[in-house]
Amino acid sequence: MDSEDDMHDANDVDSYEEDYYSGDAMYSDDDDDAGYEFLHNDSDDSDDVLISRQQKNFTILKEDDIRQRQEDDITRICSVLSVSRDSACMLLRRYNWNVSNVHEAWFANEDKVRKAVGLLDKTTYKPTKARELPCGICFESYLLDKISTAACGHPFCNTCWTAYISTSINDGPGCLTLRCPIPSCGAAVGVDMVNMLTSDEDKTKYQRYLLRSYIEDNRKTKWCPAPGCDCAIEFDLGSGSYDVTCHCSYSFCWNCTEEAHRPVDCETVSKWIMKNSAESENMNWILANSKPCPKCKRPIEKNQGCMHMTCNPPCKYEFCWLCLGQWSDHGERTGGFYACNRYESAKQEGAYDESERRREMAKNSLERYTHYYERWATNQSSRQKALADLHQMQTVHLAKLSEKQCQPETQLKFIIEAWLQIVECRRVLKWTYAYGYYLPEQELAKRQFFEYLQGEAEAGLERLHQCAEKELNTYLNEDGSQDEFNNFRTKLAGLTSVTRNYFENLVRALENGLADVDAHGASSKTSSSKNAAGTSKAKGTKGKGSIRGRTDDSTGWSCDQCTYMNSKNATSCQMCHNSR
Amino acid sequence: MQASRARLFKEYKEVQREKSADPDIQLVCDDSNIFKWTALIKGPSETPYEGGVFQLAFSVPEQYPLQPPQVRFLTKIFHPNVHFKTGEICLDILKNAWSPAWTLQSVCRAIIALMAHPEPDSPLNCDSGNLLRSGDVRGFQSMAKMYTRLAAMPKKG
Ligand SMILES: [Zn+2]
Ligand SMILES: [Zn+2]
Ligand SMILES: [Zn+2]
Ligand SMILES: [Zn+2]
Ligand SMILES: [Zn+2]
Ligand SMILES: [Zn+2]
Ligand SMILES: [Zn+2]
Repeated sequence: MDSEDDMHDANDVDSYEEDYYSGDAMYSDDDDDAGYEFLHNDSDDSDDVLISRQQKNFTILKEDDIRQRQEDDITRICSVLSVSRDSACMLLRRYNWNVSNVHEAWFANEDKVRKAVGLLDKTTYKPTKARELPCGICFESYLLDKISTAACGHPFCNTCWTAYISTSINDGPGCLTLRCPIPSCGAAVGVDMVNMLTSDEDKTKYQRYLLRSYIEDNRKTKWCPAPGCDCAIEFDLGSGSYDVTCHCSYSFCWNCTEEAHRPVDCETVSKWIMKNSAESENMNWILANSKPCPKCKRPIEKNQGCMHMTCNPPCKYEFCWLCLGQWSDHGERTGGFYACNRYESAKQEGAYDESERRREMAKNSLERYTHYYERWATNQSSRQKALADLHQMQTVHLAKLSEKQCQPETQLKFIIEAWLQIVECRRVLKWTYAYGYYLPEQELAKRQFFEYLQGEAEAGLERLHQCAEKELNTYLNEDGSQDEFNNFRTKLAGLTSVTRNYFENLVRALENGLADVDAHGASSKTSSSKNAAGTSKAKGTKGKGSIRGRTDDSTGWSCDQCTYMNSKNATSCQMCHNSR
Repeated sequence: MQASRARLFKEYKEVQREKSADPDIQLVCDDSNIFKWTALIKGPSETPYEGGVFQLAFSVPEQYPLQPPQVRFLTKIFHPNVHFKTGEICLDILKNAWSPAWTLQSVCRAIIALMAHPEPDSPLNCDSGNLLRSGDVRGFQSMAKMYTRLAAMPKKG
């Protein structure tokens, strides 16, 4: 059993990038980098909880790993049961590649297992004295050297064997349980016969099926569903979150194999996906990536990730892609300074009446779904865009920026980290809209709490995305001063950290079913002195602080460093501790 | 193509030689096409098909015997696993349980066995399948007998 454990260790090394949330993944390489110091101060003890919960509960298997494991399992059965590799292979397949199940069944009743798998004892077969034998398929007689038999001894000529096995291989994975052609016989035809009698092409196909069976028939392994990826994931059953990330960087849910959807559960995801396909025709227009500018009516294309749109000159009207409202109007009404996630408030304001299209939709009672679907889909495409930007950053821009700013690329890691955070947050945010759609309307307190957390997270993400997308551009294209760039570094790293905290809060809250809603409801009404007394749970403090800032944003102040809206009586920023 | 023809020719010679070996089955190869056969089979005794003679049509694919022949009843028969209109037969050995060791002769034997032991759980004829599944054996038998008399027995002139 040693070899299996060794393999886990070997894989641990190169799969560290899986956990965006685990903290240590982000800062694994250069902990002593000055730029990150305040991030460490900033983090509270909840990070430790997350790290322990996020302990890797899966292993990525590349094709070579899979072959090696399969070989090892076969060898193990061979030596314990004293059977051929051919037989070991068939036994393992029969018992879904579970070594201990094979052992158990074999030692409980060897005869029964042999019968079920078609493994005859060679000793039951008496060799013939005849010089020639008739083939059971073509009915011609052949000299013995042209005849082959499985363990049962039924004779078929080699040509017929080849055709028989080849037909079965080309019929599909059923070839792995091929039996002697004599219907009443049942003797297994295994990999030895295949190797002896078929073409190289068929041998390869057979090996392919054997490898697939090793993953697909095993309860603990699944293929990565990303197109073109040959890796498989072994999952430790019964061990928390199902989200796994493959070497190819695709993240998916091991349980339902949809793309990763933490913190939303599989049932909600499958309902949502069904709903989407039922509504897909109605929704096509939403996915269109151009909308008329609400002011000048010229079509404007969304080619950037964040929702803040600016119309072409001379109009230059700034608006929100989601609600087409004026950008500067975005505040408490829409769920936050940068956020636009509240369906109810948008509806009350009559924002939806502006478009005739939407009026039609309302008639069909699709309005509510449309709201959630549009946000879900937009975050999806925004994430795709961010992935592309991240790639561009890694392959082109980072080197360019390094030259321009005379900084080694290792010092620019904060940019990559920002983009990784954006990609991950877009994914989480996207799924929270599916969650929101199914959150019962009558659970008002939960809804409010959810929309509050979602709004906070979304606002943080929009600030981060905008900063990474637009502000960074200025440093790519013109030489800013060293000081300016260092400010930018602090700001982007700060936003990354802030956003990460918001999303951790959101993920945690959804994963425990918004159970903290009562604590939240109470604290948002109590005075600040009570919060300061520190009686409430540590993980809630940030969220509570920001409520005060939010409810009073006419008199609050926006932090220069991270743009966080602080309450008017705060002397330093509650997010990044920058003094006013 | 060559292999299937050779194999069918072997079966043909075997049928000629063993004409009287199985009196319940009479296999005949088409005069001009070795891939087309017909068979006359006798309804098994102690079944509603007793006394009837049923005609089967075989269409043999070029991949024979690696692929099974297509067989259907030309004679109307009331049987849960035979389509009443087309005569298609639902029998595992004619599908995924086919083995190249089967012959046209052994397929006929398997069909006779199916006539004696219907499988009401995979019906091609729902009426007869339902009769059997609901336990109305007598109802099933009288229908089957009637069709045997109407379609599978020589008309008394
Ligand atoms: Zn042969
Ligand atoms: Zn055999
Ligand atoms: Zn993959
Ligand atoms: Zn899932
Ligand atoms: Zn405009
Ligand atoms: Zn908006
Ligand atoms: Zn700040």
